Amino acid sequence: MSFFDTLRQKAASVKFLDKLTDSTEPINRDEKFRLVYKLPQGELIVDDTNADISVMRPNTGRIRAKSAGDGTRASNTSYVYSGRLYLTRHYLVFKDSFDTTSCTFTINLSTVRKVERAASSSYATSLAITLHCQTRIAIQFIGLRNRTDSFCQKLKEALRENVPNTKRLAPFLDSCYSEYLIAKNVLNKPDVHPPPSGLGQKYRYPGDVSKEKPKLKLWFDYFQDQGRNLTIVKTGLFYKLIRVGIPNRLRGEIWELCAGSMYSRFANPEEYQTLLKNNAGKESRAIEEIEKDLNRSLPEYAAYQDEVGINRLRNVLTAYSWKNPDVGYCQAMNILVAGLLIFMTEEQAFWCLVSVCDNYVPGYYSKTMYGTLLDQKVFESFVEQKMPVMWEHIKKHDIQLSVVSLPWFLSLFFTSMPLPFAFRIMDIFLLNGPNALFQVALGVLKVNGEDLLEVDDDGMFIAILKHYFQTLDQSAHPDSTNAKYKQITKFQELLVVSFKEFSNITVPMVEQQRTRFSKDIQQNIESFAKRTQLRNLPQVRNLTPDQLSNVYDSFYLCIESHKISMGTGSSNLDFEAFLQFLSSFCDWCKPGDSDHLPRFRKQKRDFLKRVFARWDRSSIGELSLSDVVYGLDGLLSADIMSTINNFFAFFSQPGVEEVTGEGILQLSEALLFLTDAWRSGRCVDQLTKRAIEDDIAESLVEKSSGHGEAINDFELPSGVTIDEEKYKQEQTERYLRAASSFLQRSFEYARASEPEEEIDLLDLSDNEGESSEHKKKKWETLKANAALDPGKRSVMNLATFRMIILADETYEMFFATTLRASIHVDEKVASLDGRVSGLKNMFDGLLADGKRVASQVRRRVDSVATRNSASSGSVMESSENQEEVDDFSTGHAYEHDELLKNDLISTDDGDINQDHLESQRKKLESFSFTDPLDSREDSFVEFEA
Amino acid sequence: MNSPVTSIKLVLLGEAAVGKSSIVLRFVSNDFAENKEPTIGAAFLTQRVNMGDHTIKFEIWDTAGQERFASLAPMYYRNAQAALVVYDVTKPQSFIKARHWVKELHEQASKDIVIALVGNKLDMIESGAERKVAREEAENLAQQEGLLFFETSAKTGSNVNEVFLGIGQKIPLKTAQNQTQGAGRGSSGLRINDDSRVDLRSSGDQSASGSTCNC
Repeated sequence: MSFFDTLRQKAASVKFLDKLTDSTEPINRDEKFRLVYKLPQGELIVDDTNADISVMRPNTGRIRAKSAGDGTRASNTSYVYSGRLYLTRHYLVFKDSFDTTSCTFTINLSTVRKVERAASSSYATSLAITLHCQTRIAIQFIGLRNRTDSFCQKLKEALRENVPNTKRLAPFLDSCYSEYLIAKNVLNKPDVHPPPSGLGQKYRYPGDVSKEKPKLKLWFDYFQDQGRNLTIVKTGLFYKLIRVGIPNRLRGEIWELCAGSMYSRFANPEEYQTLLKNNAGKESRAIEEIEKDLNRSLPEYAAYQDEVGINRLRNVLTAYSWKNPDVGYCQAMNILVAGLLIFMTEEQAFWCLVSVCDNYVPGYYSKTMYGTLLDQKVFESFVEQKMPVMWEHIKKHDIQLSVVSLPWFLSLFFTSMPLPFAFRIMDIFLLNGPNALFQVALGVLKVNGEDLLEVDDDGMFIAILKHYFQTLDQSAHPDSTNAKYKQITKFQELLVVSFKEFSNITVPMVEQQRTRFSKDIQQNIESFAKRTQLRNLPQVRNLTPDQLSNVYDSFYLCIESHKISMGTGSSNLDFEAFLQFLSSFCDWCKPGDSDHLPRFRKQKRDFLKRVFARWDRSSIGELSLSDVVYGLDGLLSADIMSTINNFFAFFSQPGVEEVTGEGILQLSEALLFLTDAWRSGRCVDQLTKRAIEDDIAESLVEKSSGHGEAINDFELPSGVTIDEEKYKQEQTERYLRAASSFLQRSFEYARASEPEEEIDLLDLSDNEGESSEHKKKKWETLKANAALDPGKRSVMNLATFRMIILADETYEMFFATTLRASIHVDEKVASLDGRVSGLKNMFDGLLADGKRVASQVRRRVDSVATRNSASSGSVMESSENQEEVDDFSTGHAYEHDELLKNDLISTDDGDINQDHLESQRKKLESFSFTDPLDSREDSFVEFEA
Repeated sequence: MNSPVTSIKLVLLGEAAVGKSSIVLRFVSNDFAENKEPTIGAAFLTQRVNMGDHTIKFEIWDTAGQERFASLAPMYYRNAQAALVVYDVTKPQSFIKARHWVKELHEQASKDIVIALVGNKLDMIESGAERKVAREEAENLAQQEGLLFFETSAKTGSNVNEVFLGIGQKIPLKTAQNQTQGAGRGSSGLRINDDSRVDLRSSGDQSASGSTCNC
C-alpha cells in the first residue's frame, strides 16, 4: 500500500516538474536568447555546448596566430575564442564566454558549404566549417564525447534541413553591398553593379562624406577576414568600426545586421511584397494618418520633395500598419522610416522598423504609447541615480523632464539633432540596444548641466537644449588654445560623455528598470483610459458614474484580446463576448440548469441576438462601450412603462408599435427565457422575498411572544429554518401561471388581421392542483394551436402588450423591479467573479440582512397588538379597497389611464375570472411592498387574516 | 519694452491636422507652411505681446494631435493658464474631439484655466469648401462651457492674433504675475530675453518680440 502511495506521489511530482520545465523555463531562456541575438521568431535552441573556435582567413587555410589551445586569453593576438556554441533551426550562434564583444557570430546554416571532421590532438572532436564566403571556422568541442557527438548529429540534421534554403542565398546576397565590394575588388568583376539601395545613393547622403572611402576600405578588409552579412564574425574591431561612424554606402546593411532584421528579411523573402499586394487599395485609419504625414517627413531632404521618396515612405509605413494592425501608425515612425530609407531599400527598412518596434523600443508607437511613457520613467530614475544634483534641481523647480526628453526617445533623436548626428546615434543604438538612447540623453543633460542648473522651467530647458543640438558641429572648447583640443566638436564630446561616463547603463539594467516601472505605467494608462472613456460616454439616466465604471470593467474583461495599457486588440464586443459580458452581471444570463435544454438555449440565443442587433447602433456586428451603455440604460429604467416599451421594441420594427403573429411568439419565448432564472428557482423575486421575510417574522413573533424578549438589537438566530422547496415551488408556480396567462391573453387580445377565429382557451384556465408539468404541456399545445396556425395572423400593439403585462402581478413586478434588480451593475468586477448564485445562497443573503427582518418582526408585533384591539372582518376588507385606490392613483396614474382606455382587465375577464381575482389580490400585495413603509402595516393585517 | 513682463503658459489641443502648429507659426512668426513636420510629443515656442501697460510672454506648448498622443497631454496642460482647443470647421469629427478636450480640461486642468475654442481653416470655406461645423453650434458650446470663441484662418492670418489677445485680456494680470513669481522667475529677466532670441531665430523668422501683435 505504502509502496503505491510513494509511487503515486512520485508520479505526481514528476508530472509537476515536467510542466515546469516544458512550459515556462525553456521558453524564457529561448526568448531571451532570441532577443539577445536578434533572431527571428521560432529560432529555439536545439542544442548548445562549450567550444573553442578560431576563424581562418579564406585562401590561406592558415589559422592566424593559432594559440596552443590552452585557452589562455592573455595575449591580444590570440584568435582562439572560448565560449558557448548554440544550434538553432537555421543558425549556428557563438558567443565568447569572457567578453561577448570580443567574438560572437550568428551564421546562417544555409551559408555552410562544407563540414569536415578535423584531426586534433588536444580535443576530442573538432570540426572545420567552410562558409560560402570561403571563410573557415574551426570548432573544437569541449565536453564529454557523447554530448559532442549528439551536438554534431543535430548539426548534421539541421544542415540537411537547410539545404532547400540555399536556393534563396544567391538572390539574397545580391542585395548586400558587402558582396558587391568583394565582387568588385577581389573577384575583379568589371560588370558588377551596386545592389539596390537607399535614397542616399541618388539624392546624396546628408552630412560630411569626406571619410567615406577610407572607412569603406576598413570594412572591406574586415569582410575579407571575418566574413560578411549572414556569415559575419563580430570581433572587437567590428564594434570599433561602427563607433567611428559607418560609411553611408554600407550603413543600411550594417544597420540590418545589427538590428537582426537581416535574418528576418532572409527568412521571409516574400512577406513585404505580399503585404503590400494583399492590402493594395484597402483603407484604414492608419492609412489615413500616414497620408497626412507623408509630405511632412524630413521635408528638407530632397527625396521627400519627390514622388520617389514619398512612395517608398508610403509603402513601408502602410506595410507595417498591415503587419501590425495593433500599432498601425504612430507619428514619429514617419521620421524614423524616412531616415532608414536614406540608407536602405524599402524591404530592408520595413524589417528594420519591425525589429526596432518589437525588440528595441517595444510599446513606443503603440496606441497608448506605454513604452514611451515607461522609458520616460526609466530615464528619470537614471537621472536620479546618476545625476543627483540635476535631479534635485528638477524636483525643486517642479520641472517635467519628460516634456523635454520624450521627443528624443520617441524619434530616436531624429527630430532633435541634425540628421548626420542622429544617424551616428542610430549606429550605436542598433549595435548596442536601447541603453544607447538613455546614455545619450544622460550625456546631453550632463554636458549642459551648468546651463540647465541656471534655469528653472521646462520651457527653458527645451530652449537651451534646442540651441545645443543645433550647434553640435561646433567646437566643444572654442576658447582653447590647444589646437587639438579646439578641434573636438560638441558631438564628439557628447559621444565620449555618453558612452564612457554612462557606460554602466547596460541593456539588462534598462530591462530591469522597465520591469520595475511597468506595472505603475500600465495602471496609470488604464486609469487614464478609463477616465477618458467614461468622460466621453453619452449621457445616460439610469446608470450612476460608479455603475458605469463597473460596466466599463466588465466590458473590457470580456474582450480577451484587449489589453488596455498596451492599446492592442479590439475594443468592441462580438456576440460571444457580449454573452459573456451579460452573464457576468445579469442573473438571467448566467449559466444555469436550463442551459441543458435545447429549447432554452434557442430562446436564449434568439433573444440575445435580438438585443445584440438592437444595441448595435452602427450596425457593424459589434458593440462599442457606448452601445452597451445605451442598451443597459434602457433595461435599467426605473419606470415600468419604459422597461415594457423597451422590451417590446426588441420585437417591433423601429417606429412601428406592433408585432405580428410570429413576433408575438418570439416575444413570449423571450419572456420565458428572461424569467427562467426565477421560474427555475435560481433567483428569488421581491414577492417571494417578502413572503419569506414575513414567514420568518411570523415564526419569530411566535417564538418570542412567549418570552416577551426585546427585539431591538435583533440578530437572526441560527435556528430558524426555511422551507426552501416550498418557496421555490410557489415561485415556480407563479411564473408558470404568469407565462401561461400571458400567452393566453396575448392571443386573446391581439387584434386579428383576419376575421377572428375562436380558439378554445377555456380549458387553459388555471385549475389549482394541476401539476406544473401538466401546465407546461398544456401551454405547449396552446402555442402550437394558436400561434403557429398559419391561417391566423394576429397583431399585438404596444398598448395591448402593456395591458397584458400589467394584468399579471408577477410580470408586472418583473418589469417594474425584478428585471432591474437582476442586473448587478452596482457590483465591482472582482466581486462579480466570486458572487454567489443559486437559491440557497439567495436565502443566506436574505438571512444575513437581519436588520430588515428585524424591522419586519417589530412591525408585526405591533400589528398583532393592533389586531387584538380592533374588530376584524369588514375593517380589513375596506382597508384593502382603500389601498387599491391609493395605489392606482399615486404610483401608477398613467397606468390607470391605460387600463381605462382598454377597459379589459376589470370587466372582460370572464373566462379567467377566478385566476384574475387571485392575481388582483396579489397585485395589491405587490403594490404595498413597493410603497413606503408606513402603508405596509395594513397589508400585514390583511395578510394575517 | 520696459513694461512689466508676465508669462502665460498656454497649451494647444485638438485633433491631428486641424492646424494647431500653423496657428502658432502664424502667431509667433507671421508665417505659414503647407508641409510642417508633425509635432512629436510637443513643441515649445514663446512670443511676447505688448498689451499697453504690460507685456505678456506666451509660453506656448503645441501638442501632437494624433489620438494616441492624448495620454501625454496631461503632461503639457499641467499648470497651464490658458488653452486653445482647436478644430477644423470643415471636419465635424474634429469638433466632437474638441468637446472632449474641453471636458477633459475642465475636469483635469487648473481650475481657473482660460479656454478658447478655435475653429480653424476658415479660408477653406471662403474658397468653396463646405462648412461642417455651424458657427452657432460652436458658440453654444462656448457659452455653455464658458469659453472664448474664435473662427480663424492660420493660412490667411485672419483672427489669429485676436485669439491670443483675447486670452491675454481674460487672464487677470494678478494671477499671471503670481504665477510668475510662484515659479521663482524673479531674477530671470535677462535670461528670458536670451531664450526668446533662441526661439524666434530657430523658428525661421526674425520678427522682433511683440511686433506681430501690434493690433
